[in-house]
Amino acid sequence: MEAKFPFRKVLVYLDGSEGSMSAAMYAILLAKSSSSQLHALYCVNTKALGDLVKARIFVSQEKNEYLADLNKDAHRHIRHIEKLAASKDLTVSSVIVEGSPNAEVSRYIKENKIDLLVLGSVNMIRSRREELTSETDRMLRTSTCPVLVCRDDDAVWQMFEEL
Amino acid sequence: MGLLDIVKKDLIINPLKSTSRNEIISDMVDLFADNRKLTESERAAVKKAVLDREALGSTAMEKGIAIPHAKIPFLKESALVIGISRIPVDFGGSEKSSIFFLVLASEEKPAEHVQLLASIARLCSSDVFVRMLATSKSADDVYQLFFD
Repeated sequence: MEAKFPFRKVLVYLDGSEGSMSAAMYAILLAKSSSSQLHALYCVNTKALGDLVKARIFVSQEKNEYLADLNKDAHRHIRHIEKLAASKDLTVSSVIVEGSPNAEVSRYIKENKIDLLVLGSVNMIRSRREELTSETDRMLRTSTCPVLVCRDDDAVWQMFEEL
Repeated sequence: MGLLDIVKKDLIINPLKSTSRNEIISDMVDLFADNRKLTESERAAVKKAVLDREALGSTAMEKGIAIPHAKIPFLKESALVIGISRIPVDFGGSEKSSIFFLVLASEEKPAEHVQLLASIARLCSSDVFVRMLATSKSADDVYQLFFD
């Protein structure tokens, strides 16, 4: 009997971290084994850039430099997941957006009827200060669809190699 | 990598002894350089990068906080040095500064750098946190404030 999975559309959020690349590999494994559609989203955090200019931590010249750097980083990571997916005969709908990562992921989930969000890592709770909540923490807390947090980097890499 | 991953007790100076912007940057970079065992040329390159960035516009903001920062080509991981001064110092902003966050970022990880700076800015939006930092007596006190 063929296995049935409670999801058809998997979204992985990429933020340029190693953790998010492990999540990308895990999402490829999930999509491949469940014949689900795979989506990848990288959000260039222009909300944070704007806040840094407003707080006078960034000057506008610096903001433009970082915007260019972040866009380069986004394209690099999207190219990487497309290559990884292709190596497993899978296509990925990838998108680069600008704004606040949590808001953009929420919007994408709703607009594309995503039914599983895969995240790379969430912070250990080491402080009660709400201000230290990361973007991925916020996504985990506010996502309107089930969320899978990918933790064990080495095991994921090995599973990916073996598929 | 989140902000708490780079808060290190041995990269906190409390109190700072220097009383000018350049000296404070120099003291904070020296602590980092000694901690990471940087070469003299690396130490000089970090100082230059931070001072060059300040020359574009002061990183002093409201509430007596300044966040000098720079991208450092040879750094693999971002780092944070925190300094607290008993005497407010002219850091080039509209008000004097007494709390300093020196953020040194890896050039390879722009997203992480933006996240770290944004986290510090968010944290410093709390008047209570800033007041507690400003009145802290030691590096231990500062470290503890982050992990409360």
